[in-house]
Amino acid sequence: MNRREFIGRTAGAVGGALLLGGSERLFGASSDQINLGIIGVGSRGQQLMRTFLRVPGVRFAGLCDVYEPRFAAGRKITGENTPIYHDHRELLNARDIDAVIVSTPLSFHADHITAVLESGHHVYGEKSMALTVEGCNRIRDAVKRSGKHYQVGLQYHYAPWYREVLSRIQAGKLGKITQVYAYWHRNNSWRRPVPAGADEKLARLINWRLYKEYSGGLVAELGSHHINFANEVFGGMPESVIGSGGVDYWKDGRETDDNVQVTYRYPTGQTLFFSAITTNRLDGDQIRVYGTDGSAVLTEADATIYYEPKRPESAVQQETIVQHGIVTGATYRSELPYLGVGEPVPVPADKMGSPDYLACASFIDALRANKRPEADEDKAWNEGIAVCMGNQAIAQGQRLKFDEHLAKAAAA
Amino acid sequence: MGTVFAVHLYAESESQALSLFEVAFEEVERLEEALSKFRPSSEICRINRLAAFKPVTTDPEVFSLIDRSLRYSEQTGGAFDITVGSLMRTWGFFRAEGHFPSTDDLNAARECTGFEKIVLDPGTRTIQFGVPGMELDLGAIGKGYAVDRTVEVLRDGGVNAALVVAGSSTVYALGAPPGEEGWKIHVFDPLDRTRKISTVKMRDQAVSTSGSYERFFELDGRRYCHVMDPRTGMPVEGVLQTTLIGSDGAMTDAISNALFVVGPNGSALLSKFEDVSALSVLTDGSAQRILKWNWPDAAVERSEIINIEPSYGRAQPS
Repeated sequence: MNRREFIGRTAGAVGGALLLGGSERLFGASSDQINLGIIGVGSRGQQLMRTFLRVPGVRFAGLCDVYEPRFAAGRKITGENTPIYHDHRELLNARDIDAVIVSTPLSFHADHITAVLESGHHVYGEKSMALTVEGCNRIRDAVKRSGKHYQVGLQYHYAPWYREVLSRIQAGKLGKITQVYAYWHRNNSWRRPVPAGADEKLARLINWRLYKEYSGGLVAELGSHHINFANEVFGGMPESVIGSGGVDYWKDGRETDDNVQVTYRYPTGQTLFFSAITTNRLDGDQIRVYGTDGSAVLTEADATIYYEPKRPESAVQQETIVQHGIVTGATYRSELPYLGVGEPVPVPADKMGSPDYLACASFIDALRANKRPEADEDKAWNEGIAVCMGNQAIAQGQRLKFDEHLAKAAAA
Repeated sequence: MGTVFAVHLYAESESQALSLFEVAFEEVERLEEALSKFRPSSEICRINRLAAFKPVTTDPEVFSLIDRSLRYSEQTGGAFDITVGSLMRTWGFFRAEGHFPSTDDLNAARECTGFEKIVLDPGTRTIQFGVPGMELDLGAIGKGYAVDRTVEVLRDGGVNAALVVAGSSTVYALGAPPGEEGWKIHVFDPLDRTRKISTVKMRDQAVSTSGSYERFFELDGRRYCHVMDPRTGMPVEGVLQTTLIGSDGAMTDAISNALFVVGPNGSALLSKFEDVSALSVLTDGSAQRILKWNWPDAAVERSEIINIEPSYGRAQPS
């Protein structure tokens, strides 16, 4: 049998199965097949669909959205006549769905994710956790109440080079970590095209990231990854935050800031600084971890370690500075930026993969093994609360202490 | 894919154009992350790492592109082959360090080459390599495919006139500029990139060019180009450039490559594809000649052009 015959026959079998339609299982009897539904088939949802379909035994059994063109886009990705739903409650009532992806605008996360959990399904919820502190609390409570698995879509949590850097940090290789400086710098408007004839509501929904009704802006959509990483480095969540930001360049009617800078302080006296801008991409997306013995620079693709120069054992070995015959300093060290070559962090071939793939595969593994996902509701809550606090600090223009604010929110 | 993409389009406003550029380049980036052999985290690299050991599941889009590539391999008798990666590596073309490999190395690379050694299972969307050491390299179809998908994104965004360009490899002409019949596309002399040898107007068509002028090395007076003949394991000789016009970029990208490999024997290959036009520049080392197939530019009137200039001189109408 040559390859074409093989494909021809098998494709015929799939075609026959397609005639079953509806919620019938197309690929038969595999007991570990996972049927997914998805709420929100926008650009991120579509990317998640493609990625989940790279995991063996995964199939999509339902697509839910409020925007009709998304269904065709979703079906094109699945290659099937996947059932569609205009209301997420209908999707949750469908047969044969094991878990649901929620990739809707941030303001809908709390309602959609809690609805999924309460319907008895596991959930992969896009980051950030929720738009508000109250929403984060609702999701975390619903996960614990339901006993279902929840994984937040912080895919870099699964990046092998991130894990390797963390293990080196935890082993003390970089000394005492005092600062994490993180950047996500772009040079684009962040605005998506809107089809001709779209009404105002649809136009705002397509560009939901730009409107506060739906979005936590750059801190939520970009900074959440960096905040989660810093939380891991520092072993918990921050205790306070100050911030600034504004709509300073893209004055096109958007409401969320086109540049933000937030500085978080952790209880042990460590700092996370995060900056996102939309007018220059020199620094791109990177995290710089500063320790007393070394630094780590993490990007979307790799990580590099730079060790600090060894300290002299005695001041005698250091250079003495003499100006006009007068000793003015006992030491001199160049403080030019270090421009040397770092040590790339190796990733074993069997651990390599895209963060998206590793995150999706890990979620499916967690479902099959009935184990808690790595990026669980507690990590998501720490990240989500920090995002909410960061945005409030920017809006209020003052330092916010987490415990005071969370106590007020709880009392309210 | 490792190439520079460019998009030119007509839009209602600058802000609309900026938004369209963003989604267009987002799509390119998405496909780069899926198809690039230069990114260790890409889906193709994941398949390459694992498929010798077990069947690897992939998503319908990547599976479909690999399946389509193997179909082109069959149609071209192996002149187009996405398993050519180990040969490219052995000849040093991945690192721009071209050299003539040892017989043992060449035989080992040939063992790892051959589209018929790839096993696809559409039921599970899995890919498996028949022999260890194989690797997929979508370089000769991926750029064209990315152009097609980018055009689709622009069409969905309401664009009626655009030019999507993937380096010097593939261009798609979407619609036409206002008031024009089509986009004007120039084919350049492979030995003098400032000189046009043909100009065509294109509308809703793709054009791809394969050339030996960018990556090659010379040894003992012979020029070895980076385009491999997967059937022999040797670099193609005697062809300077092939240009193919057709309905979509993935097809023109792949088949222009196959046409380059078969050199002067392209008629049988081209007859298998509908509505294609082709222009090839061949050389025997001292003279160049142009072969054409349904070529729309009447200015290239002769099917064979004899050049009397020294080796690798310009191809000029006689």
